[in-house]
Amino acid sequence: MNFNEEQIERYSRHIILGDVGVGGQQKIMAGKVLIIGVGGLGAPAALYLAAAGVGTIGLVDGDNVELSNLQRQVIHFTPDVGKPKVLSAQEKIASINPDVKVVTYQSRVYSGNIAGIIKDYDFIIDGTDNFAAKFLINDACVLGAKPFSHGGILRFDGQSMTYVPGHACYRCIFGAPPPKGAVPACSQAGILGAVAGMLGTLQATEALKFLIGKGELLINRLLIFNALDMKFRQVEFKRNPNCSICGSNPLIKELVDEELPACDLKKK
Amino acid sequence: MIKGYDLPPGLDGEIDQLEALIRKYRAGEISATELKAHRVPFGVYEQRQADTYMVRIRCAGGFVTPQQLENISVIAQEYGVSHLHLTSRQELQIHYVKLDEIVTVIRCLKAIGLSTRGGGGNTVRNIAAGDDAGIDPQEAFDVSLYVSVLTTRMIAEGDSWNLPRKFKIAFSGSREDKGYATLSDLGFIAKINNGIKGFRVYAAGGLGAKSAEGKLLFDFIQTDEVYPVAEALKNVFFKYGNRRNKHAARLRFLWQNLGEEEFKKKFQQEYDRIKADGFKPLDIIDQGQGLFSCSLPKDRPLDATGFSLWKTRFVKQQKQEGLFSILIPIELGFISCAQAAKLGRFLKVFGSDMLRMTRDQNFLIRNIPWDYLGTVYNFFKEAGLELNQPALYGKILSCAGAATCQLGICLSRQAARALIDELKKSGLDLDKIKDIKINLSGCPNSCGHHPAADLGFSGKALRNGDRLYPAYNLFAGAIIGDGKTKLAEYAGEIPAKALVLLVKDFLKGYISKAGKFTDFREYIQGEGKADLKEIILRYSQAPDFDADKNYYFDWGADKLFSLAQRKAGECSAGFFDLLEMDLKNLKNTQEALGKVAQNDNEKGKLLGGLVFYASRALLITRGLDAKSQEEVYAGFLKHFIETGLIDKSFRDIVVIAQRGESREIIARQPQALELAKAVQALYETMDNSFNFSRLSISMPGGIPPEAGKTTELPVIVKDLRGVACPLNFVKTKIELAKLNAGDTLEIWLDDGAPIENVPGSVKAEGHKITSQKKIANYWSVVISKK
Repeated sequence: MNFNEEQIERYSRHIILGDVGVGGQQKIMAGKVLIIGVGGLGAPAALYLAAAGVGTIGLVDGDNVELSNLQRQVIHFTPDVGKPKVLSAQEKIASINPDVKVVTYQSRVYSGNIAGIIKDYDFIIDGTDNFAAKFLINDACVLGAKPFSHGGILRFDGQSMTYVPGHACYRCIFGAPPPKGAVPACSQAGILGAVAGMLGTLQATEALKFLIGKGELLINRLLIFNALDMKFRQVEFKRNPNCSICGSNPLIKELVDEELPACDLKKK
Repeated sequence: MIKGYDLPPGLDGEIDQLEALIRKYRAGEISATELKAHRVPFGVYEQRQADTYMVRIRCAGGFVTPQQLENISVIAQEYGVSHLHLTSRQELQIHYVKLDEIVTVIRCLKAIGLSTRGGGGNTVRNIAAGDDAGIDPQEAFDVSLYVSVLTTRMIAEGDSWNLPRKFKIAFSGSREDKGYATLSDLGFIAKINNGIKGFRVYAAGGLGAKSAEGKLLFDFIQTDEVYPVAEALKNVFFKYGNRRNKHAARLRFLWQNLGEEEFKKKFQQEYDRIKADGFKPLDIIDQGQGLFSCSLPKDRPLDATGFSLWKTRFVKQQKQEGLFSILIPIELGFISCAQAAKLGRFLKVFGSDMLRMTRDQNFLIRNIPWDYLGTVYNFFKEAGLELNQPALYGKILSCAGAATCQLGICLSRQAARALIDELKKSGLDLDKIKDIKINLSGCPNSCGHHPAADLGFSGKALRNGDRLYPAYNLFAGAIIGDGKTKLAEYAGEIPAKALVLLVKDFLKGYISKAGKFTDFREYIQGEGKADLKEIILRYSQAPDFDADKNYYFDWGADKLFSLAQRKAGECSAGFFDLLEMDLKNLKNTQEALGKVAQNDNEKGKLLGGLVFYASRALLITRGLDAKSQEEVYAGFLKHFIETGLIDKSFRDIVVIAQRGESREIIARQPQALELAKAVQALYETMDNSFNFSRLSISMPGGIPPEAGKTTELPVIVKDLRGVACPLNFVKTKIELAKLNAGDTLEIWLDDGAPIENVPGSVKAEGHKITSQKKIANYWSVVISKK
């Protein structure tokens, strides 16, 4: 793949980087990244991946933009309220970087569609806001042997890990979704918008590192931070031989939908 | 009463033919070049913006009826155009027309009695005239009818469309020569000799890359002779003009080449032949002025102070008692279609023969009775025409410049705009100097009439250290008039960014001394010359790039000044095309060589081609049209190597290519590559007169062609001069990425930040710098890939 003059200039700061360089940028431009959930995490991730020149970006989200999203979902603007999130994000990506091909899936992920969606991508970013989806993504990626970045945020806290086939998965740590009501949803607990940005950009960084094949991914470790104290720590863990999806004798052999937590605010 | 001109009988068929050609072009059956050859003589020029065209409308002597002006504006608006443009040769132009709409526009124009034929190309162009023909108290007689009838006659003749180069005719009614008869290929100045009407005739003058005053061809001819004289001169041009070397093709070059005696002899032969064959003189039937009857109310002016200032600035008594002419200043010749339509609609009541375009791109209306001046003033005010400002602004003249003209070097129109803005802010009493002509051309060609100006500027590029910046040559003190025309003299050179301040300072000085001189001409011939010299000295230096980067950007430009965008001029289509084609060939060959893995056979062919294209590309600038390989190499050796334009060390590689010694060429690949670069660099320094001298940069010493030296590893050379940090490093990395470990890459870097940074960055990535040396004002760095 040759760069045209505009690309040389656009990506010059990448090309200069020793660990990216010409080859790395070419890999980014050939890369395909799927972002599930174009919300607090997916928005910044999509912006940075588009700016970096990722060849194809897939966007999955069934929701429309709401006014309350704009406090953190920085890819959506005020005039977008009411517009499907995937379309709003697609427009922004096109104007940041027309080189990027965007594929939209205006739907939630569930057991019946996720395998078909992820199969075309090199790397998946989990930007969802509920445990059912997070476990579904984990299971689908383990079964489909796709790497993905997990991200979770609440109030001032964030956590992230990266799954690469052969290494520990999300279920290795967490097993199964917490009991209903044990963990409040963002809509109830609140979230500092910038914290979403911190975590979304961590995930975008992981995706880019994966594409260029450089650095140490968040494999077998969970990065946890609290932005109020601004303290980062990491918890190392190992692949769980008894994991119900990636263990030696997996119990889960096909995808099922965990129960979706009822969202009080939306039901009104 | 005149009516402009009659449309030629064959026009319909010619429009049909143009339509068919556009269709064929769209279908891919003919090339863009082929279409261009027909499109340009139809007054249709391609603009820099892709797929948009300019349509130039013939307006004989600047004549257009108010009704036509309204119609043209409506047609233009119909096709999404916002402005009309008045040209310095008294035409109207519609810009930004789409190719598929051109024929419709041309047909609409035909329906209102106008043609675009001869708006461009090597044709009889619009016949110009003093804008006050018929109303000038000083004139011998009204020349308008001659302009009109001669136009009708000449545009009906087939050979008017296929001349060696353009052919411009002008008429003036008085010795003041307001039509520039003494600066045209053919010029007539009205004169009465013992009570008989006739003309003084000038020939072979003109403004261009090499401007020249017209030479006196006849001291007096009777009016009946106008046609045979024009026809004979056109025939001489048609037969003997230089059709091969378009940059030396205008009639003035023929005069120069043949010499006055021989030129006149040839002219006489044609003239005698036409007279012997019997010819029909022009039918000049003066029907007199139409009676003026106006239904408009005689309004009082809306504001008395503004009105009286306006009258002193723009209103002039005609030779006809009780009638007045009014100048409508149109800044830089642009008027919105909406305003133009409104103007045309309003002026209709004053008759059809009441509007002219002036040679400085303004409107002049005539035949307004004193009682109606208030009505006209009120209308202008309501229509939002610029009125309450000194006349000087409207008279500042500029060609389109590099923004739209493919030959342009400087953004002259933006410079003119900046100048107007600066003068508006200056607080100078410009009403004292309303007759001064300030003209700007974006390149050495004189489309902005700089040689005919009191203060004229022509764009060029200068270098400070290794950086190019936009600049202007300054010319001063042109004199125009029957028997005394003298082009403006070169006075110095200044950075483009200093132009505005220089003019302001100079005008300020003149205004403070104005009482001492009868007019500006007297001042500039004496004391003004010294004043100007002093001011030029003040501004002649461009500050270093680091001290003030502004000087390295042209007016209104957001990119560093460069010559890279310059292209072939449309009006001399053909000549540049060849040059450009070879430069493209060169580039393609360089790229092909840059790719790895060719066998020796391929490589030999590519390198042979490289030297061939390098040798041929610029030959045309020396007027050579080499027809064989033999002539190419011989011409290149003679005109470029032996003259030192290209370093003499390249002689060997050319001779080797001439002998077709493929193996030898491969052994000297680096030298062949450098020759190509040298030719490209030389081309970058070329001005529009095809001179390389002013900017001539020293050529690299070259790799010494020591015979028998063993071939080194092939070196890819990447010229990164002019590429700023960090893009030069980026491009270096891109080149390195194409190579295998151990391969060698040579890069050329500018002095300063590039050479201080790039080699270090390259080393930091683990590559080896095998050599780093300064050549002239840049650096060669050889890298061995890790």
